[in-house]
Amino acid sequence: MSAGKANIEQRLGGHPFLKGVDARHLKVLAQSAIPTQFEKDQLIFKAGEPANGFYLIESGKVELQGSVLEHGPIATDVVGPGEPLGWSWLFPPYLWHFDARAVEPTSAVCLSGIALRQHRDEDPELSHELFKRTCAVMAHRLQSARRKLVFQGKSQSQPRPQS
Amino acid sequence: MNEANARCDERTQLEQRVAAHPFLIGLSRHHIRLLADCALLTDFSAGQSIFRAGETANRFYLIEAGHVVLESGDDSAKPIKIDIIGPGDLLGWSWIFPPYKWHFSARAVEPTKAIFFYGTILREYCDKDPILGYELFKRMSEVMIKRLQRARAQLIESMTKA
Repeated sequence: MSAGKANIEQRLGGHPFLKGVDARHLKVLAQSAIPTQFEKDQLIFKAGEPANGFYLIESGKVELQGSVLEHGPIATDVVGPGEPLGWSWLFPPYLWHFDARAVEPTSAVCLSGIALRQHRDEDPELSHELFKRTCAVMAHRLQSARRKLVFQGKSQSQPRPQS
Repeated sequence: MNEANARCDERTQLEQRVAAHPFLIGLSRHHIRLLADCALLTDFSAGQSIFRAGETANRFYLIEAGHVVLESGDDSAKPIKIDIIGPGDLLGWSWIFPPYKWHFSARAVEPTKAIFFYGTILREYCDKDPILGYELFKRMSEVMIKRLQRARAQLIESMTKA
């Protein structure tokens, strides 16, 4: 095995999203993983483009942004170290729903969703592990988005000062 | 009809309703039986509370008929509506991860029929049977990703209105 692959396996094994995943599965994941870096303000993916994989963020910070014409980009979520970024590769139509932009210099491991999608029916144990973890992270993000909605709803229902 | 027969009929009805729910379409008979082991048929009347924010989350529901509103659980103010869950949908995620507490409150807005699943037991079944785990969590991810995208779109809309 090349030093590069061993290093990727270590990086994957050390990432909180994959904590506890066994060595055999880390080896499978390492086959479709490459290290990557983004500069501050670099676009990582863009809404509407094909979603071919996801990122495990190791350091830095990424904003998920939606854009509304006259308002420009609006951040709905921030993804930081130890977190995964990107779900749209999991299900058809396999297109990004939002933009992701590094707001700090960011280091990550990119996993190929195409390879994982091909592999997922063959290895239900690994697929169960990944989907279970995905569900837990998604549920957190859903709760966080809904909490922000509640906050927005409350602030909008407050009477506004008369001008 | 004796008691054993009645129980047998109830179990058959439960398995049939579990197998017929759109969320579970395509699962094997074996997995349907495992799911039915952790399931109960349940009904809610209009206005009835299904769960409240802060309470222990050990379960989820597959809605068969009727509608449920998900709202903020803050008693001090008028609750804010977060989502509406209808027939064919799944209600409740907080049983999946610590601290296993409901984040929001759910209330039936009309007479509602649902299948209750005991998530704590189901989680153990999934760990023992990864094919079942894969099938269930894959389906849950698919529902959740849509809700997440919808919540973020609503958030963007409300932030641009603010």
